[in-house]
Amino acid sequence: MNHARAVRQLSAYLDEELSPSEIRAVHAHVAGCEACRDELAALRQVKDLLGRLPEMEPPAELWSGVRARAERAHHPAAAVLETLRAAFRRPAAAAVAAMVVLILVAAPLVKGRLDRLQAADIGVDLYVREHAVQAAADPFVDRAYLGLLIGDANLALAGARRVPGEGP
Amino acid sequence: MIAKLAKARQGRRRGVIAWAVVCALIPAVLVGTVDARSAPRPVPSAADILRTMLAAPARIDYEGTKVISTVRGARAETVTILEAYKRLGRLRLEFLSPESVSGRLIVDDGLSAWQYEPSLHLVVRGPSFVQGTARPERAGEIMRRYRVEVLGREAVIGRETVVLGLAPGETGSNRRLWVDEATGVVLRTEERDPQGEIVYVSYFSRISYSLNLPPALFRFRQPAGAKVLSFYVSGEAVTSVDELRRRAGTKIAIPARLLRYTFRDGRVAQHGAFASASATYTDGVSVVTVFQTPTSRMAFPNVGETVTTREGPARYLDVGYFRVLVWQRAGTNFALVGNVPQAVLLAAADELAVSR
Repeated sequence: MNHARAVRQLSAYLDEELSPSEIRAVHAHVAGCEACRDELAALRQVKDLLGRLPEMEPPAELWSGVRARAERAHHPAAAVLETLRAAFRRPAAAAVAAMVVLILVAAPLVKGRLDRLQAADIGVDLYVREHAVQAAADPFVDRAYLGLLIGDANLALAGARRVPGEGP
Repeated sequence: MIAKLAKARQGRRRGVIAWAVVCALIPAVLVGTVDARSAPRPVPSAADILRTMLAAPARIDYEGTKVISTVRGARAETVTILEAYKRLGRLRLEFLSPESVSGRLIVDDGLSAWQYEPSLHLVVRGPSFVQGTARPERAGEIMRRYRVEVLGREAVIGRETVVLGLAPGETGSNRRLWVDEATGVVLRTEERDPQGEIVYVSYFSRISYSLNLPPALFRFRQPAGAKVLSFYVSGEAVTSVDELRRRAGTKIAIPARLLRYTFRDGRVAQHGAFASASATYTDGVSVVTVFQTPTSRMAFPNVGETVTTREGPARYLDVGYFRVLVWQRAGTNFALVGNVPQAVLLAAADELAVSR
């Protein structure tokens, strides 16, 4: 038996898990190898230390918890919740997730408010333009002036309001 | 032979007498003609001149320079425009001054109106606003609803016009129209407020009538690279109040009558996220439009000056030819727009409040 193989089997040799022929081969190698003797001595010491530790009973709820987690893994929603819980256990991931949720909730509210303010800004222009189109049926209306009013309202709706007048 | 000579002499004498009679009659006829020319021609009736005016859009092409002066609150503005019109309902407007509008071009082909703003290199396309059909039969309706009178005859830019005075009821604006007697084209318009102050003047400083303006003048050619926006904000018109309510999707006030105006049609105007229900009322001639927009969709527009309606404070804006009244009540922004004085808008607002 070469040295590398003997080193890999030292732990099994100590625990008496090898076949009789393997035991003989390891024994023969250890007898002639100082490094393996040292390694075997160290392993024996660790085994002795572990053997002196007291035996502990597992908590009673351990199995029920394991079973519950196994059952939740079958439900997609539960899996998502579990993923989220896992994410929240990491502060950076939790912060990013909170930011995304905040943006998703706040964006429509902010847009609604902006639309409302923009509507107030252009509302009267839209009213004048719509009325001007409807007023075309008036036989006394001046077409050229309708064109001017509609043109000005169009510019305001396009965001480029013209300031009429020649001063007070 | 003697008898023949006597007959010849008698014939010559008759010829001389005939010539004498003719010579005597010519001055008399000439004098009569001169008298007929100098005698004042009868001024056409208001109904006749209205019929001529209402038939003009289907009969007359013209091209001229128009000057429009308006008072918008405390500001006055004079706009000069090259205006060309072709039957039936095609219009070309080239704005010359003031500088803020100079270069603007509007071409209306009867289906769509194209506006080009050279300073922005921008084209805006929207619905046509030109009515090109002849409606002389409406003269009777106008005569019934308006006080129309012929104020006389005047020459405007060398053409004979008949001056018409129009007063829509007891509360409307007073208008005067100088109508070209031969063509029916309105060469000058004046509008006065209830105090008698002129608030709107429009007149041609020159005009040429042509029987056939080239169609190419009324076709819009889009400038290369210009940005194009389509502003067809008017929704499809409905003539049923219930259908308009259904389309608006919110509770809106639509009385069948508003002062002397009756409900004509309505629509939901939409521009981006902004939507407003509009109801148009007419007295058979002019129109007033009521807009209703939920306050959740539109903040209150702080425009113009503060006035008071029966329901509380409102804002009043004079845009020259049209006036706008805006107020808020029960979660709705109301707006009234029309070519009517402020007092009429306030009265209409009060009536709308009662109808809710």
